Amino acid sequence: MLKIKSSGIQSYWLMLVATVITVSIVTSSQLLTQRISLLLDRQASELLAADLVVVSGEPISPEYQQEAEKFGLNVSNIVSFRTAIFIDDNPQLVAIKAVDSAYPLRGHLEIAKDTVGDKLKVDHGPKAGEIWVDPKLSQLIPSPVTLGSAQFKSDWILTFEPDRGGGSVFNLSPRILMNIDDLASTGLIIPGSRATYRLLFAGQPEKINQFVEWLKPNLKAAEKLQDLENARPEMRQALDRTRQFFALSIVLTLVIAMVAIAITARHTANQEAPKVAMLRAFGISQARLMRFYAEQLGRVWIIATLLGIAIGWFSQYPLQWLLDGWFGKELPVIATVMPYINAAIVGFISLVGFSLPFLFNATATPPMQVFRPSQTNQSIRRNLIIAASAIFSVFLVLIVLVQSSKLAIVTLAMILGVALILPAIFYLMINALLFTSRRQFWLRQYLLSRLKTKTRGALAVMSGFSLALLSILLIGVVKDEVLNSWETQLPDEIPNYFLINLRTDEVPAIQKFLKGKEIASSDSYPLVRARLTHINEVSAQDIEFINPHGSHLIKRTFNVSYADKLPDENEVISGQWMEADSDTPEWSIESGLANSLGLKLGDILAFDVAGEVVEAPITSIRTVLWENFKPNFYLMSNRRLLENQPQTWLLGALITNDKKGELKQLIQNFPSVTLLDITELISRIRGIVNRATSALEFFFLFAMASAFIVLMAAIQTGRREREQESSLLRALSANIGQLYTVHVFEFTLMGVLIGFFAALFASIAGWVISVQFFEIEYHFSSSIWLYGILSATLVLTTVGTLVSRKVYHVSPMKMLRS
Amino acid sequence: MLDIVQDVSLKVKYQEALVIKGASGSGKTTLLGLMAGLDQISSGDIELLGNDLGDKNEEQRSAIRSGKVGFVFQSFQLVQGATALQNVMLPLELKGEPDAYDRAHQSLQQVGLEPKKNILIDHLSGGEQQRVSIARGFAVQPKILFADEPTGNLDAKTGRQIADLMFRLRDQSGTTLVLVTHETDLAERGDRQILIDAGRLIDSEQGQTIDSGPKRVSC
Repeated sequence: MLKIKSSGIQSYWLMLVATVITVSIVTSSQLLTQRISLLLDRQASELLAADLVVVSGEPISPEYQQEAEKFGLNVSNIVSFRTAIFIDDNPQLVAIKAVDSAYPLRGHLEIAKDTVGDKLKVDHGPKAGEIWVDPKLSQLIPSPVTLGSAQFKSDWILTFEPDRGGGSVFNLSPRILMNIDDLASTGLIIPGSRATYRLLFAGQPEKINQFVEWLKPNLKAAEKLQDLENARPEMRQALDRTRQFFALSIVLTLVIAMVAIAITARHTANQEAPKVAMLRAFGISQARLMRFYAEQLGRVWIIATLLGIAIGWFSQYPLQWLLDGWFGKELPVIATVMPYINAAIVGFISLVGFSLPFLFNATATPPMQVFRPSQTNQSIRRNLIIAASAIFSVFLVLIVLVQSSKLAIVTLAMILGVALILPAIFYLMINALLFTSRRQFWLRQYLLSRLKTKTRGALAVMSGFSLALLSILLIGVVKDEVLNSWETQLPDEIPNYFLINLRTDEVPAIQKFLKGKEIASSDSYPLVRARLTHINEVSAQDIEFINPHGSHLIKRTFNVSYADKLPDENEVISGQWMEADSDTPEWSIESGLANSLGLKLGDILAFDVAGEVVEAPITSIRTVLWENFKPNFYLMSNRRLLENQPQTWLLGALITNDKKGELKQLIQNFPSVTLLDITELISRIRGIVNRATSALEFFFLFAMASAFIVLMAAIQTGRREREQESSLLRALSANIGQLYTVHVFEFTLMGVLIGFFAALFASIAGWVISVQFFEIEYHFSSSIWLYGILSATLVLTTVGTLVSRKVYHVSPMKMLRS
Repeated sequence: MLDIVQDVSLKVKYQEALVIKGASGSGKTTLLGLMAGLDQISSGDIELLGNDLGDKNEEQRSAIRSGKVGFVFQSFQLVQGATALQNVMLPLELKGEPDAYDRAHQSLQQVGLEPKKNILIDHLSGGEQQRVSIARGFAVQPKILFADEPTGNLDAKTGRQIADLMFRLRDQSGTTLVLVTHETDLAERGDRQILIDAGRLIDSEQGQTIDSGPKRVSC
């Protein structure tokens, strides 16, 4: 019985390398994204001082704490309330926050001896008998401080608390932080007192999720859950963008690796075809050959999985070394085997889905090829099977890796679309170029004829390389757009302090003070506290909202504002912005809030403002760029509606380090003003996006490695034909210069075409992704064309010419021997 | 190192049609390649059109061949994806002929393929492809044309037509022809036949190894 002998793994080495890269990408990206995600979530959690918070106006059931501890979660209790303290016989409203020894569960507090002194990071609150006070209060209150019926030592100023604001940065009175054990002794909280109770939880993400599952059905009406998603709109946007960019980059890197597998598999299948023809002529059945190739692929998969997982695992270390510097702390370790299992599965799907159809196609090589090597077994049906298998594999990989990421799926659909139309575009392009000047053959027509002849070879390879380059350009272009838009929104001159609780009559004087001290400030906005009572004359309490977030929202007190002109970076998407001198009351509402409450233009909203009902229709719906850290409002009205309501004002100011000394005088001149330092918040959010995108640059290495494999496969694919052609040209007396010219021009022509279409489709895809998913303005840049065309041309020409150099010295005797 | 052709001494006369015969693997194609300057000899002397090829590298041999040597191959060796006309233009353009288009046109007329000049090679029959190959070989108006089994890939009838065509063009142009074949009918059309066996020349008429004297091949 005839035994099929394997020609060894060397026949599959390019395919093996491509699969190793695929498995490495998945292992590495899964390990790292999970670790980075966990770290980012933890950093973001610091803004809540926890991973999850239950907020209530009433004491929270101790059952939650007991249950949370069963899940292995850390728990902390906070009680906050406002009260007045007397400073020189004048009452001053303060916000007291009583915390236990576990607070903060995430992040840290910062304290200092005085307002301009060095800050000290601490991971616990004040001890019993001690309070930490707001910088402004520290100048005014004596020590010891009397709170209710107890006295406290006040040696430290509280300069930073991670969860300050908790939903709105403007809703603040000067802070006093105290130990919860002292609360009873003050006598300030008695049954019926108005206070906010917070129960903070932190732990492993899966435990938090399990706990949330238990908690949700047990929550009482007055209790609401706060997590990262609903805590801060600006943080949510930053995290969403970062996660989407992660998913996008990994999918694009994988696309390149899959293209590499497909092209190398095609190359291998072409190499195997003559052997298959001979074996079939000897009577070996197609089924037996299929089994043989399935076994070969099995070997490739096992070796690639072991090598890929090892490389992916080791790649964590250089990356971790890089990232530790960026993140300022160690990446948390993940104890799960899922990244490795996923990597093995994705490697299997990619290898089987992209290469098996090619190899099975090879098994159908007609035995007649033994006599007529030019006879091919290509057919539309077989090509369709190959395409269908590739598409199906990609979707399976998506299911394993990104699951619900709409962005990744849309991107992939776009890339598949491009993959299907690229060969046709290249074919038409070459035909169009061929159409001109038939009186001269050498050199242009000769080149184009060769590319066209190898239609299924050259065009497929060109398409594959274009896709690889497209993916690389797309990662780069979207990254630049995301970062640029982020940087543009956060110029260096962004206000880093908010001055709040300004009285109406103080605003001009404060603006004058700031101007006199050469401190840049933003527009000032009034703040009116309002509670939503009726929507279209129906009590808000009686309305059942489809969006569960809606029922929480109506319970909150809104800080509404009014203005004559639309604030910066707000965009009216429906209706019209209010006329400055209009006498008709009007509301303008933020689009997210309108969605949550199910509101539309013309709906009439009634608010309770200090006991008075204020009512007006919605005349415009706005989008708000929460990330810009300028004063932003969910609800705004025209001047007419709120001008005469009780209000305070706020404005932003850029207080540089050399101007911080002026703060003391500002507070002395305007004692009611509260200063809110948001520098830390800005730098933290900016850091999250910057670090995450920087981390992804590492995946560029994998993307480049895959693209290199595609390039090598592309060059290898046409090598036999190039040798044959060089031999013929030599026999026809071509000199070495003419041989060099033809190869350099071939690679240059391919490079220009590949670069041009990669840049074109990357620009289109970049625009779709930026506008549709990241909701940022897209700028068509010339650099993508420059990089695309130049890199493709230079790399292809240089590597192609170097790798093919043996071809120039091939003997013309080959012509006689072939 | 394996000696494929050895102890060969041979001179091809001006305008002669020399046929090299031999069984498969006898070394006849190697001899043809050496005579045409497609390969380098390991020892001895070889002269092509008055040029000693013995110490020349491929680049120099190519320059010697340019415009003076034509080829017809067994498997045609045409540029796929190009038309019949473009294939004939190729050696002319490589040589730098300014009227390549017109001369290729003329050459195709001579082989009777002018009506199919703009048809892609892939769409022509085997016989037609060999005609294009012959047109290409003669287009440069070579002093000597080397043909390696020109009818080897064709059926008997088409083979005869191709042979007729080749010899007609050779007669018209006075080109020296060196032809390798194992087909007796074709071999008999040459002015002189030599037989090669195991890399050695045999006098075909007497069936004995030629006492070759100094090892020198010239054509």
